[in-house]
Amino acid sequence: MIAKKVLLVGSFGVGKTSLIRRFVLNEFSEDYISTIGVRVSAKIMKIQEEEVKLLIWDIAGTYGEEKIPKSYFLGASAAMFVFDVSREETYLDIKNQLDAVKSISGLKNIMLVGNKKDLISDEKLAEIMKIIPISIDLMTSAKEDENVEDAFIKLTLQSLK
Amino acid sequence: MISLKIQQTFIEIKTDFNGNIISIVDGYFLKNEFIESKSIFKICTFLENVLDFLPINESLNIDSLIINDDNQDFNIDVEILKTEFEIFILIQNRTTLYKYIGKLNQNRNDLFFLKREIDEKNLELEILRKIAEKANEEKSRFLAMMSHEIRNPLHVILSYIDLIEQENTSPIVKESLKYMSISGKNLQVIVDDILDLSRIEAGKLQLAKLPMNLGVLINQIQSIFDKTHKNPDVELQFYVAENIPKIVLTDDVRLYQILINLINNSIKFTEKGFVKIAVKLISVENNFTTIGFEISDSGRGMTEEQALTIFEEYQQNQLDDNRIHKGAGLGLTIVNRLVRAMNGSISVNSKLQEGTTFSIKIPFNIENQSDIFEKVALKIKNEKSLKGTKVLVADDNYLNLTIVSHILKQEEAEFVMVKDGIEALIEISKNTFDLILLDINMPNLSGDDLILQKSNYEKMNGKTPILAITANNSVENIATYLDLGFKDVIPKPFTKSQLIEILLKNL
Ligand SMILES: Nc1nc2c(ncn2[C@@H]2O[C@H](COP(=O)(O)OP(=O)(O)OP(=O)(O)O)[C@@H](O)[C@H]2O)c(=O)[nH]1
Ligand SMILES: [Mg+2]
Repeated sequence: MIAKKVLLVGSFGVGKTSLIRRFVLNEFSEDYISTIGVRVSAKIMKIQEEEVKLLIWDIAGTYGEEKIPKSYFLGASAAMFVFDVSREETYLDIKNQLDAVKSISGLKNIMLVGNKKDLISDEKLAEIMKIIPISIDLMTSAKEDENVEDAFIKLTLQSLK
Repeated sequence: MISLKIQQTFIEIKTDFNGNIISIVDGYFLKNEFIESKSIFKICTFLENVLDFLPINESLNIDSLIINDDNQDFNIDVEILKTEFEIFILIQNRTTLYKYIGKLNQNRNDLFFLKREIDEKNLELEILRKIAEKANEEKSRFLAMMSHEIRNPLHVILSYIDLIEQENTSPIVKESLKYMSISGKNLQVIVDDILDLSRIEAGKLQLAKLPMNLGVLINQIQSIFDKTHKNPDVELQFYVAENIPKIVLTDDVRLYQILINLINNSIKFTEKGFVKIAVKLISVENNFTTIGFEISDSGRGMTEEQALTIFEEYQQNQLDDNRIHKGAGLGLTIVNRLVRAMNGSISVNSKLQEGTTFSIKIPFNIENQSDIFEKVALKIKNEKSLKGTKVLVADDNYLNLTIVSHILKQEEAEFVMVKDGIEALIEISKNTFDLILLDINMPNLSGDDLILQKSNYEKMNGKTPILAITANNSVENIATYLDLGFKDVIPKPFTKSQLIEILLKNL
C-alpha cells in the first residue's frame, strides 16, 4: 500500500485540528486547544479500488507573518491551506500567504479550504468568494460535518498526481 | 559517562533506509518502544515517507513533533542523519519545555479571540448607542410637538369650557361641560407630567431659591383641598410643628407640586379613614435646616414589591388605575426626581389594607430670618390690582387673544388687542401703555424682532414693561428673551391666576 504525506496549514484557530478530528475520528469539540508543534495522524483511503495510507500532518497555526519550518514539508505530496470564513484577517492576504507556503514547500498546487461555513450566511459566503482573488476548492464546516470528507478526498487525489 | 537522568531524556536509534530498527545507539527515552528489526514508523509516524527524501550526510532537524505512547503525548525534537548505509535518529524529550510554550501560545491565541469578541461587542454597543441617540432625538421632537401642538389647543379648549360654564346653560349642557372639563384636565395633567419628567431627565429643570413661608404654603394647600376634597369618609388632617423655621429658601412651585402630588396620590387610594400631612423639624445646622414631610393614609396600601417600584415610570398598582384616576402614573416618579433635585430623600412605608406613609426629608437654606421677613412684608404690602391698567396684547392666535381679553375684562383692565407685530408696533409708537404683552411667534413681525425696534416706540413706551407670551419656555429660551429686553415671560399655557400674578408682578 502506498503512503502519502499531506499537511494542513493556515492561521491559528481556523480549524485545522477540528477538520482532521472530524475526518479521522468523526468527533468535534467547541473548545479551542491550540496545537503545539506537529501531530501526525493516519487514515486509509480507498481511491479507485486502491488503498492509500494518508499521513496527515496537523501543524500549529501560524501567527501573523510567522513561517512554517521548511523541514516539515520534507517528503510531502500535497497540502491544504485552511482559512476561517468568519475571520477576515485569515483570508484578506491569502494570495501572499499561499505563495509563501508554495515557495517553502516546493509544492506546485496547494488546496484552498474555507472552514466554519456554519458561522456565516450563504450571501456572505458568496461575497468572500468574490473578494478572494484565487479559486477556493471547498467551503467546509468541521462542526456540522459539511464537505470535510470531500476536502480530504480531493487532497488525496492531489497527493497522487 | 552520561548520567542516567540525562539518558532518560533522549534516545538515538539506527535504522535502515526502510525504517527498520537496526539498534539503539544510546539513551533510554521510551526505550521499550524501539525494538530491533521492527519498523520505527509505528511510533514515529512522522518519519514515514520522509526517510527517502533525506539528503545524504547532512543532518536535518525537525522540531516540536508529537508522538503518542500508551495514550500519553510527548513533545520531541528530532535530529536525523542519513549516511550511505544507515540512518541515525536522535529523539529528545522536550515535553516539559513545550508544556510552557503551549501555555503561552494558548494564552496568546485566547487573548486574540477575547479581543475580537470585545471589539465585536464594542461595535454592537456603538450601534446601540446611535440608536439610543436617535430615539432620544425623536423623543425631544415629540415633546416639542406635545408642548406646542397639544398643550396650547388643550389650553384653549379648557379656557372655553371655563367661559361657557359661567353662562346660563341647560342642566344637560352643564353636565356635559363637567365631563369635558374633567377629561380635558386629566389630559392636561398627563401632558404636563410627561413634559415635567422629560425636563427633569434632560437636566433642564432649574430650581428657584426664593424665600417662602412654609406655614403659609401648607395653609394654601389646606384651603385648596378644603374646596376640592368631597369624600366625607376620608378626613384630611394637616399638622405643622411649631418649631419649624418660618421662612426657608426654596422653589415654592416645585415643593407645592411635590406635596400636592403625594396628597392626591394618598386620597385616590384611600376610600375610608384619613389622609394626614405632617411637617416636622428634623435638624438645624448653621444655614441649613432639614424638614420632614409625612403624608400618611389609611388606604389600601401596597405589597413590598409594589413599594419597591413605586417611583418608577408609568407605575400604577392596578391595571385599570390610570383609567379611574387621572395621570399616566408619572406623578410619583416626578415627586421622586424633584425631591432628589432638591437634595432630599423620599421613602415609602406601606402595609396592604392598612395604609401608606411617604416620608420626605429636604434640606433648606435659611438666610438671616429678619432680612427675609422684611422682603416678605414688602411683598404683602404691595397688593395691587389690574383695575384701570392699560395693556396692549399682541397675538395672532385669535383664541389666545380672546382668553386674555376675557381675563383682563374680568380684572377691569383697559386693553387693546392686535393680531400681529406690525399692528403692535404702530400701536405702541402712538400710545403709552402700562404693560405690553407680545406673542413671540407672530406673522409679519415676531415679538422678538419687534422689541429690538426700540427707536420706534421709545418715546411713548420707553419705560413700559414688555412681556413675552410663549410656549418656548425652556430655561435657555427664557434667558434669551430676557436678554432681548423682555421684562418677563408668560409661559403658555397659563391659568387665569398665573397670568394675573405675572402682570401684577411687572407693574
Ligand atoms: N463553528 C465552527 N467552529 C469551528 C469549526 N472548526 C473549528 N471550530 C472551532 O474553532 C476553534 C479552533 O479550532 P482548531 O481546530 O483548534 O483550530 P486550529 O486551526 O487547529 O488552531 P491551531 O492549532 O491553534 O492552529 C475551536 O474552538 C473549534 O471548536 C467549524 O467548522 N465551525
Ligand atoms: Mg490545531
